[in-house]
Amino acid sequence: MPPKPAEKFLLLFLKSELVEEVLGDLDEKFYRTIEKKSERRAKLNYWYQVFNYLRPFAFKFFKSNSIIPTMISHNFKISYRILLKNKLFSAINIGGLAMGMIVTILIGLWINDELSFNTYHKNYDQIVQVLRKNTELDGSISVNSSLVGQVGVFMKETYPAVFDQVGMTFFRSRAQLLSVGKQSFDKIGYFFQPDGPEMLSLEMMSGDIHGIDDRSSILLSQSLAKTFFGDNNPIGEVVNLNLQTDLKVAGVYKDIPNNSEFANATFMASMDLIYNEQNPYAWDNYNIRVYATLKDGVDLNEASNLIKNIMTPHRDSEDGPMELFLLPMKDWHLNAEFEDGIQVTSKRMLFVRLYATIGVFVLLLAFINFMNLNTARFQNRGKEVGIRKTVGSLRSQLITQFLAESTLYALASFILSIVIVWLILPWFNGISDKTLGIPWSNFTFWLTGILFTLLSAILAGSYPALFLSSFKPLNALSGTLKQGIASVRLRQGLVIFQFTISILLMIGTITVFNQIQHAKSRPVGYNQEDLITVRGRSDEFYEKYDVLRAELKRTGMVEEMAAANYPLMNTLGNNGGFSLRETGERIAFSFNTIFVSPEYGATTQWELIEGRDFSRDRDEVANVIISESAVKRMGLSNPIGSVLQSKWEFKGRKEFTVIGVVKDMIKGSPYEEPYPLMVFPTTWAMSFLFIRLNPEMGYVEALQKIQETFEATLPGHPFNYEFVDNEYSTKFRSEEKIGSLATFFSFLAILISCLGLFGLSAFVVEQRTKEIGIRKVLGASVPTLWKLLSKDFTVLVIISSALAIPAASFFLNIWLESYEYRIEITWWMYALAAASGFFIALLTVSYHSIRASIGNPIEALRSE
Amino acid sequence: MKESKLGDFEETILLLVGILGEDAYAFKIAEEFESQTKRPVSIGAVHSTLSRIEDKGFLTSAMGAASAERGGRRKRIYTITAAGQRALEISRELKMNLWNQFPAFADGKLNFGIG
Repeated sequence: MPPKPAEKFLLLFLKSELVEEVLGDLDEKFYRTIEKKSERRAKLNYWYQVFNYLRPFAFKFFKSNSIIPTMISHNFKISYRILLKNKLFSAINIGGLAMGMIVTILIGLWINDELSFNTYHKNYDQIVQVLRKNTELDGSISVNSSLVGQVGVFMKETYPAVFDQVGMTFFRSRAQLLSVGKQSFDKIGYFFQPDGPEMLSLEMMSGDIHGIDDRSSILLSQSLAKTFFGDNNPIGEVVNLNLQTDLKVAGVYKDIPNNSEFANATFMASMDLIYNEQNPYAWDNYNIRVYATLKDGVDLNEASNLIKNIMTPHRDSEDGPMELFLLPMKDWHLNAEFEDGIQVTSKRMLFVRLYATIGVFVLLLAFINFMNLNTARFQNRGKEVGIRKTVGSLRSQLITQFLAESTLYALASFILSIVIVWLILPWFNGISDKTLGIPWSNFTFWLTGILFTLLSAILAGSYPALFLSSFKPLNALSGTLKQGIASVRLRQGLVIFQFTISILLMIGTITVFNQIQHAKSRPVGYNQEDLITVRGRSDEFYEKYDVLRAELKRTGMVEEMAAANYPLMNTLGNNGGFSLRETGERIAFSFNTIFVSPEYGATTQWELIEGRDFSRDRDEVANVIISESAVKRMGLSNPIGSVLQSKWEFKGRKEFTVIGVVKDMIKGSPYEEPYPLMVFPTTWAMSFLFIRLNPEMGYVEALQKIQETFEATLPGHPFNYEFVDNEYSTKFRSEEKIGSLATFFSFLAILISCLGLFGLSAFVVEQRTKEIGIRKVLGASVPTLWKLLSKDFTVLVIISSALAIPAASFFLNIWLESYEYRIEITWWMYALAAASGFFIALLTVSYHSIRASIGNPIEALRSE
Repeated sequence: MKESKLGDFEETILLLVGILGEDAYAFKIAEEFESQTKRPVSIGAVHSTLSRIEDKGFLTSAMGAASAERGGRRKRIYTITAAGQRALEISRELKMNLWNQFPAFADGKLNFGIG
């Protein structure tokens, strides 16, 4: 007897009309095999034959070989025709979903870029930066990356088994003047120890990665080499540094991509140029950044512990303790913020999360839209379902039809969104300061995209597919079909959700812009207009200060000129260790200490509140001017005449008398509390020059004259100037970036929500066409009808506002708390956002309701 | 959209149907195929091909007689249609034509160029 299980299995899938003949054939084969071979072989063969019937033609579920592709192509053909029939709704549907996808793709690319920061460097897993943790006298703990140069030297010499390479560079990478022949440019670059380039795994286009082992050599980035030498071979050419040192080009490396800590490195030169046998690294000058690579198998924490106390023997016992530790490269970009010495979630990381949330929400909005519009649209297709069922359509066929439709829409959206992303990426890169591109050849990208598309198709199509296909044909045809109250409630809920998100984003945008505006209009304590700054490079520049000043003033284009040892744009020069002579009390905070020429006040036009300004005609060596916040924090009621004692000597003195108080100058971040300022007068040479232009003269003429005079006085010194107000405005860039991105996202969110509302209102109006006709015939006026039709939606928007406002105040307060100088969120911001949300929604809905209200009632009644 | 060409395996099966005449049902055809070509084949493969050829219109089928060794079940007997006949002829003509153009065969004897 043939094996029963095999027979059962066969019957499981075999088409019923084939059963008789197949079983017969297999039996014959079975008995024939027993005759020829053995029963065991026959049974085995039976199984083999059964498995060989696993072919499409014999399967129950297939009517025939070719019906499946036909059905599918039929489904898509119908879908395509329906898409064309309702052009407006198709456009809203596809456009809305595409917008959501655009936002998600952009945010996805952005986040991917952030997360892959620094991965360009091959030693990504091994590179660490040395940081220090200081415990101040008042108990506060600060973390800083500026270190003394000896730390690096010590690490390399003492722990060769732990650190493979040690690279040191300056703490602040200032632009350096590079010149070849007559061309000269201010370029940011790094002075590195010989290990640097290899540690960063620079990709050499030509020359030697060890080039800067020789201190008279320089490595150029590909783009800088091109700027200087065009297509000629740059190797061996000479580049002059800061008008002083000639360096030989030893190599050219591929530009470091934007998402690297070292992206701005246009050149690398040897640190030995500055620190060498004559001028060794110090134990007390915190102006160096120290990087290292760990040897394979070295544990980060162990290495961190090894170097923890390097600084202890070299510090005053009076100063608080200092510990060193290592920060791995993967943490540099997104995890490098510390509070009280403990790693905390950084602002950047918060942004990554924020954008991820926005992306998810905007996509959700688009999904909801897609679903809402689809279900509304399918509602009008009850008749179609009825007819299809009457002529014999199976429920599964209807489901396939509806799913095919939503798949077609979703695919169209995906394609559209890719095209648009491709078109707007340059613009997006501009506002987000990135160099993103569509990863055309990235498999994961496409897979995710397609999966998302199919998911949205299924989500959006499933409701109509399952719900509509369940209709009884008679109900569907006789028009007694009504969607339950549940589905109406669901749709209203979705609209509320959409508008809540939109209003939330709107409030956010308004707040961000207000905060930026608030900081921008903050008084800076001096006059930025008509003020330019020039950085001196050569010794000659310092020597000729007086001549230059006299010459420039003589042109009539310059009101005043001054010099300082630090620019107006940062708070470099930090010194603590001061005390008040009267009380002998040590001042717990440190000052921003700068040295200026006596004309500094007249040039910057700072605002003197008390006392007097410096004067060139007096002996001012022992005098200082301090800022308002310094006075406040020291608690002085009568600051003029107070004497400050210093632990260290400043220009040979330790005691200084306060002769003036000025308004706080905002030199650091415009969002922070002002840093107490202490200004020392000097007539020594200093490298930052400030020139106040005569406001009565035109810029162009003035600058031209100044340049002529400058070049005549200092031949060979480039006149590279910067307007102070321009420089200052760069401080707002990162916030402005956030602002533009927030605007972009909320704009899209609102647009998506409005599209949804637009579509929904159209359907509601369409469904009530007859009602409107009858009402009109009975004498309803246009405003009454408009009110009737718009009321439902506007109620939803009001509910949304009520939900959005508390959520917004919660999130925005968290954001604002990260700024010391900030706005308060006021009621009008909420009101403005809610009102605009309401207005936009009303406008959207009104289009259809007004159109229906003013239409001819006869046509309304005659419809269908 | 109906396919009207004959594949190699299909052509062989079609010929076997012609050879077996009244006895042309899946099991017999499979057996005949194995004995003629010395190649193993499953009944399912033959059956699937038969139904495909039938779709192309080269075969018709009808349920035939039952027999005891089949457990009293009937068998499906396949018959070549006129179109099937024609398809076989075209295929043969095409091949003959090609063979005739083959220089080694053109004069009716093998010539491997040895001289």
